[in-house]
Amino acid sequence: MLKFVLRKMFSKKWMVLALLIGNILLIGITAGNPMYTQAILQKTLTKNLEASLTNKNQYPGTITLRLPTSKKTLSAVREYEKLAQRIPEDFQVPALHELTYYAANAQKIDMELIRNDVADLRINICAMTDFADHISIVAGRGYSATPDEAGIIDAVVSEKMIADTNILLDDVISFPFFTDAEGNPLRLRIAGVFTNSIENDLYWVRSPYVYQNHCFIDETLFSDFFLSQEELPYAINVNYYVQLDYTAMRGDQAEHILQTATAYKERYTSRDYTDYISPILTEYLKTAKKVNVTLWVLQVPVFILLAAFIFMVSRQMLEMEFNEIAVIKSRGAGRGQIFTVYLIQSLVISLLALIAGIPLGGYLCQVLGSSNAFLEFVRRSALPVELNQEALIYSGIASVFSICAMVFPAARYAKTSIVGHKQRKNAKSQTPMWQKLFLDVILLAISIYGLYTFNGQKELLAMRVQEGGSLDPLLFLSSSLFMLGAGLLAVRILPLLVWLIYRLFRRFWSPALYASFLRVLRTRSSQGFIIVFLIMTIALGVFNAQAARTINQNAEDNLHYLTGADVVLQESWDNSSNYSDPLDPSTASAETVYFEPDFGRYESLEGIDSLAKVYINDTVSVGSGKGTIKNIHFMAIHTKDFGETAWFKDGLTDVHWYHYLNAMAQNSQATLVSRNFQTKHGYKLGDSFIYRTAKGDSQRGIIYGFVDYFPGFSPVSYKKGTDGLYSETDNYLIVANLQQIQASWGVLPYQIWIKHQDNADYLYEFADKNNIYYSTFKDTSVQLTEAKNDPVLQGTNGILTVGFIVVLLLCSVGFLIYWILSIKSRSLQFGIFRAMGMSMREIFTMLINEQLFISGLSIAVGAVVGQLTARLYMPLIQLAYAASDNALPLELISHPDDNIRLFAVIGLVMLICLMILGGLISHMKIAQALKLGED
Amino acid sequence: MMNESFISIQGVKRCFHTAAGDFWALKGIDAEIPRGKLTILKGRSGSGKTTLLNIIGALDKPTNGNVIFDGRNIVHMTEHRRAKIRRKDIGFVFQSVALIPMMNAQENVEYALRMARSREKRSDRALECLKMVGLAARAHHMPQELSGGEQQRVAIARAIAHRPKIIFADEPTGELDTMTGLQVVKIFKDLIAQEGVTIVMTTHDTGLMEIGDAVYELEDGELIHGSK
Repeated sequence: MLKFVLRKMFSKKWMVLALLIGNILLIGITAGNPMYTQAILQKTLTKNLEASLTNKNQYPGTITLRLPTSKKTLSAVREYEKLAQRIPEDFQVPALHELTYYAANAQKIDMELIRNDVADLRINICAMTDFADHISIVAGRGYSATPDEAGIIDAVVSEKMIADTNILLDDVISFPFFTDAEGNPLRLRIAGVFTNSIENDLYWVRSPYVYQNHCFIDETLFSDFFLSQEELPYAINVNYYVQLDYTAMRGDQAEHILQTATAYKERYTSRDYTDYISPILTEYLKTAKKVNVTLWVLQVPVFILLAAFIFMVSRQMLEMEFNEIAVIKSRGAGRGQIFTVYLIQSLVISLLALIAGIPLGGYLCQVLGSSNAFLEFVRRSALPVELNQEALIYSGIASVFSICAMVFPAARYAKTSIVGHKQRKNAKSQTPMWQKLFLDVILLAISIYGLYTFNGQKELLAMRVQEGGSLDPLLFLSSSLFMLGAGLLAVRILPLLVWLIYRLFRRFWSPALYASFLRVLRTRSSQGFIIVFLIMTIALGVFNAQAARTINQNAEDNLHYLTGADVVLQESWDNSSNYSDPLDPSTASAETVYFEPDFGRYESLEGIDSLAKVYINDTVSVGSGKGTIKNIHFMAIHTKDFGETAWFKDGLTDVHWYHYLNAMAQNSQATLVSRNFQTKHGYKLGDSFIYRTAKGDSQRGIIYGFVDYFPGFSPVSYKKGTDGLYSETDNYLIVANLQQIQASWGVLPYQIWIKHQDNADYLYEFADKNNIYYSTFKDTSVQLTEAKNDPVLQGTNGILTVGFIVVLLLCSVGFLIYWILSIKSRSLQFGIFRAMGMSMREIFTMLINEQLFISGLSIAVGAVVGQLTARLYMPLIQLAYAASDNALPLELISHPDDNIRLFAVIGLVMLICLMILGGLISHMKIAQALKLGED
Repeated sequence: MMNESFISIQGVKRCFHTAAGDFWALKGIDAEIPRGKLTILKGRSGSGKTTLLNIIGALDKPTNGNVIFDGRNIVHMTEHRRAKIRRKDIGFVFQSVALIPMMNAQENVEYALRMARSREKRSDRALECLKMVGLAARAHHMPQELSGGEQQRVAIARAIAHRPKIIFADEPTGELDTMTGLQVVKIFKDLIAQEGVTIVMTTHDTGLMEIGDAVYELEDGELIHGSK
């Protein structure tokens, strides 16, 4: 049986190949998705954990368990020790270090040598596991593990303690509060000063600098003294630190770790149990969910297309094999046997697809991981892609679906007899079911209703995204339905259009064109599928390209806009308050005077295109008739420099924004203010008002213009209120002339806005060489790179790109198959045409005309549908990607290159198709073609 | 002689290159097709009669030899000119019913007129031809709605519509019952009488042999018997 099936498959190798391509792509995408999700999330997790280490200097794996103050027994100390040891097991993460910190609480001390300067010190006596291995002695010596003859115990202290207190080496301190069995006070000698032996030693959960009134002694000596009996004589702190190896944490453990942490918190209270990992993981899980939903949702249309493709090809294959089925049946094969043949065939195809598809999925992950923008790839560190269970499960499910799609038509065919088939074939092309049901209209109605509803809830949608939600799958589904509905509607309408063209010019048609029109018009049902398929693929391609471009460009523009220029920096300004002596009032001037850093050195920097001084103050207020407007974003600029330097986009203001700057330059008191001065407070052009800073400086301004947008100004912002909900707040803006402000308020620390010639490298070199510290340094390109590394955005770019490539592949294969089959099945017809005296050229004309009206029109409609979908749905979909500080209105971006690429590929495929077809036809001997009809 | 024979076949050989080696379908045929007569090519299946018909019908080229078609040697003509001859001067009726499936009976017939760039009013002529084959009533039926015999008659109507000088019919009665087959032959006879066309048809039906004005018999690519 298998041999028979394989032979049969080999005889239809092209169809089998097409099916295989479809299946491999299906498996590749299905397997790739979870692998990619896992990989990118793993990367994100590692990055977040590392960020905690570098930004906060907290080892993210550290878990601290504290002995509750209420427990004052030795057995409790031991019990907690055991509990702490169980942490790695409970969390299922290996521990790098487990250490215990003991401290007897700060007590008054007596100095052996009476020195007043240290009399008030309160000193803790502490010990830490493996302490000696992690310190180096910078002065004196290390402590010995035994007391000396006088019973004095050696202790070491931190550099900080030596620096901050007047304790000296070899000082002996006695603690009257702590006494031994005979009532003698505990005595410590400061033997040495320690520091951590290795930089960034994880052992130092708290930096040695924290221990500023702590004497460290040997752990055994500590136990001997403080932990020698069941009822602990003195209150001591015991901290158990467990440092889990965060690099061994896997994304799929996040949930478990978080649950364990929560359970611990409940058991030990949040006072006695602390970790750094919980907030990181909570944030991570939120991202993970978002990434997951987004990626699947974005793939849905591609899945639909793939399924349709597989279904289409298998149906076509069956159509071709119908005679064989009939022969087998006539020889007594049962329905079951025929069914089995096709089942085995699809199993073989699925198996091959699994073998090839899963590695393809892995490869797709790498492609996804290196995609920077739409169809744009960068070198990034390779993603830690690995085959996971999820990938296997999903691939399995996909295979089952695909087997069903391949076998389902066979089941139907196995039932019908040859007579029924011929009857069906000969019946006039009937109106398809979906047209009778008006499925196209229904789909469109549903999707437009969805669009309408979502548009009504736009603000809600935006809020949800701010709260960490993801793209609403229904929204995306609705856009896919729209494409499908529009495609089906086109299938309904297109023939009418063709008919109209045909009728209008009917007297001009050559016999070849006449025949091709009749074919287009009268064999609709067989073309319906390819038309919908083409429309969907092109629409999806156009939509994907637009979506990716729009999301990226808007994110980029928004960033650029909010930063204001390529780079915004401000040096740390020295001021007079640093130099006044608090004991000498005469040096304290009433006003702080700032010392302006040398601005000139930037002007002469090689690599700068232009630069501008911008003074910014966010504490400005204006008293208006309707109450005081507070926290106004105030900017003082030099109009010409600013105009040359700041980043701004056309179309954000009614006229070019230079006109506003020019207007402002006319008068030193001229200001530009945000639109809400006009709409909410009734100001008019030419009105003057007084604005003042929190410090009390004030200035009169005259309104020379109202602006909706201005570089660096965000008109509204979403803020999380006390109730945990996000709400929108209106922001206000005043732009004034810098010269005027400096003249009346003095020179205040200003920002320098810079526009580069190409990149910021020179600036970093400059800062490095001159040892300049910046209090503000915003580099748009750095922020952009960071933004693009966001897993959701990166995944979206990747999926849209891969989806687009898959669509192109499918489109090409589908197109080729359709046309080759359509030609092959019509060889008899071409024979007749040739016999009737049609020349090769005319046959080609006929084919090209058919292509034009079937493929060409579909492609055109697809492009329109894609555009339309983008136009309708992008403003909503974009919301999912908008940062919380999204300021700019959405602009739909379409990159002509993308469409050129799309149509170039399609054009190429059509050309290849025509060439293959041409080859087929010209090799077709008329005589032979006619013979083909003999059976 | 020239006036009497419409086609002169001179030493025609045809070789097919197959995987199993060269196969000579025609091994040197010399024959004359008389003008305004019904010529019958007879032979078993595989004897080479369809090959010969294709060659003299300007559908195929011989490996050797010449075919003088109405005074012109069509063997060395360009494909374009051969197409033109097929369009204007020749009508084909194929063994397999070869109607264009997306056109109805009348449109199929009209299409031959379109191809020949005929100046006649197409629908009138098409109906006239359909009437000739007795199918005027079914003019608007699609091919798949017609029986085999009806389809064959539409094919004949199409073959004569543009008033060709010669009609080639390859086993036109092959798939028809005797009664319908005779009907078809009768139509041919009528055509010769009314329109003066030349008809060449192949058949293996010995019963029809008597009707031919000239009969050639082929066997293994050679003419074994020729009459008149």
